[in-house]
Amino acid sequence: MQFIYSFQSEWLKKKRNLASWLVIVGAFFTPAILLIYSLVYSTKLYAASMAPNFWYALWENSWESMAIFLLPMGVILATSLITQIEFRNNTWKQLHTLPQSMTTIFFAKLSVIIVMMLQFFILFNIGFYLSGVVPCLLTKGVPYPKAPLPYQVFLKDNLLYFVACLPIIAVQYLTSLQFKNFLAPIGIGIALWILSVAVFRWQYGYIIPYTYCGFHFLQNIGKVKLSVPIHVLAFGWFILFTIISYILYITKKEKG
Amino acid sequence: MISYCICTENLSYQFPGNKPVLNNINLQVPVSSIYGFLGPNGAGKTTTLRLLLGLLRKQQGSIKVFGKEFQKNRINILKNIGSLIESPSIYLHLTASENLEVLQKIYRCPERNIGETLEIVGLEMTGNKKAGQFSLGMKQRLSIAIAMFHKPSLLILDEPTNGLDPNGIIEIRELLRKLNNEFKTTIVISSHMLTEIEKLVTHIGVIKKGSILFQGTLHELRQKQMHNSVIHFDTSENDKAGKIILANGVMPISLDDQITLPRMERETIAKLNRQLVEKGIEVYQISTSQKDLESIFIDFIKP
Repeated sequence: MQFIYSFQSEWLKKKRNLASWLVIVGAFFTPAILLIYSLVYSTKLYAASMAPNFWYALWENSWESMAIFLLPMGVILATSLITQIEFRNNTWKQLHTLPQSMTTIFFAKLSVIIVMMLQFFILFNIGFYLSGVVPCLLTKGVPYPKAPLPYQVFLKDNLLYFVACLPIIAVQYLTSLQFKNFLAPIGIGIALWILSVAVFRWQYGYIIPYTYCGFHFLQNIGKVKLSVPIHVLAFGWFILFTIISYILYITKKEKG
Repeated sequence: MISYCICTENLSYQFPGNKPVLNNINLQVPVSSIYGFLGPNGAGKTTTLRLLLGLLRKQQGSIKVFGKEFQKNRINILKNIGSLIESPSIYLHLTASENLEVLQKIYRCPERNIGETLEIVGLEMTGNKKAGQFSLGMKQRLSIAIAMFHKPSLLILDEPTNGLDPNGIIEIRELLRKLNNEFKTTIVISSHMLTEIEKLVTHIGVIKKGSILFQGTLHELRQKQMHNSVIHFDTSENDKAGKIILANGVMPISLDDQITLPRMERETIAKLNRQLVEKGIEVYQISTSQKDLESIFIDFIKP
């Protein structure tokens, strides 16, 4: 029960935090662009809505910038912002004198970030659906997309993208808990993201924990074929970095 | 037998690569007392308080709070402690009531505690104003509200009146006194100024360079004050009078415009006076002066 109370307490702290806005704005950004594009180029809409691959094409377009750039950057920023709340407000000492174990605090904070990620995926999918449907409804003579929505395929794809994000969350969580200076975790995150973009063509690029979102997208569109199960690797990195992060956190000599 | 709310034995601490900050601290804070923890800046007050709250890992010695070993009963003990360590520790992007709501989720106190506590510290009208827009005094009040929110039986406050105006200091002092009187809350309050807490505390501990120099009741400190009193003789011939006094086995502390002597029995004073008059020396005035508490404290802490 204490974990639930701690989670509720941590959830409250993200109110008015930039990370909360980032989740909403980030989730609707690409769908909004695609919606505007569809309305501007509405002449192409009729043919598109009749196409059997309407939803797949829209899904691919939606994830193009999201998988390589927006999602990793969003995760880097949101995780660091949430974790750094205590440093920014000088509240570690207050938090560590509350009657809850260090383990509870650690996992409550991590859970808030993971739930926020889930929130992002839900909002993104709502945005995705609206970006497909709204232009058809607003444009005269364009029917509702003829192809059925392959929601099971998309749900599975969502899950795989989510797993691909987990190592970024774990590394950012680790660095944000260790460094008081906000620029340190952000700097490390951006450096690793740049590195991940640079190694997409390298045959062993998959060892970098920040590459999996991009690799998953590139695999989906057939640009890359990897011989290793990147989602298993992503999950492995997540577990490893979470354990390291946990050990470093609970063995801190100064707790505020 | 006195029962102690906090009891440390030979508590020592050293930051890596530095000299020891605390040396064998034996703190004894009686239940329901208001314990003033005094010392100059850098004496080790905050380090001691951080150790008591588990913010620093104990290296040597033992800490008992409510009669239980702190390390083994950390969570249960912390349920009954409220604290404020150094600068305000509040979420600046949240309002005052949201700051307390964060705590309410953990302590599972009734929600009405939020309004009641804000009213006690005079922040009930802050509404939607974020804590980041508060003045330093308001932030300090909110920190105190956070410390007392769950009605703890022990309050540990590290320089809680920092940043408060004189009125604010008086109000906080009254509030702490009320908590102590009505709820028997034990309060440990640190300060580097005796005058600031002299009117509030029942017990005092003086720390300097990581060692406790004095610990006891305010009454005991006043006794010490009595022992530190001196006697002045104002005579027509101080040099001659000084020799007579010395011949009686009393060593003058100083011999300037007045003769200053250490504290002595009333009979000895009368005897000296009689001898001086018999030797033809005019005695204009015999007076005693006492060191005030602040002077005694300064004596404790001066290098």
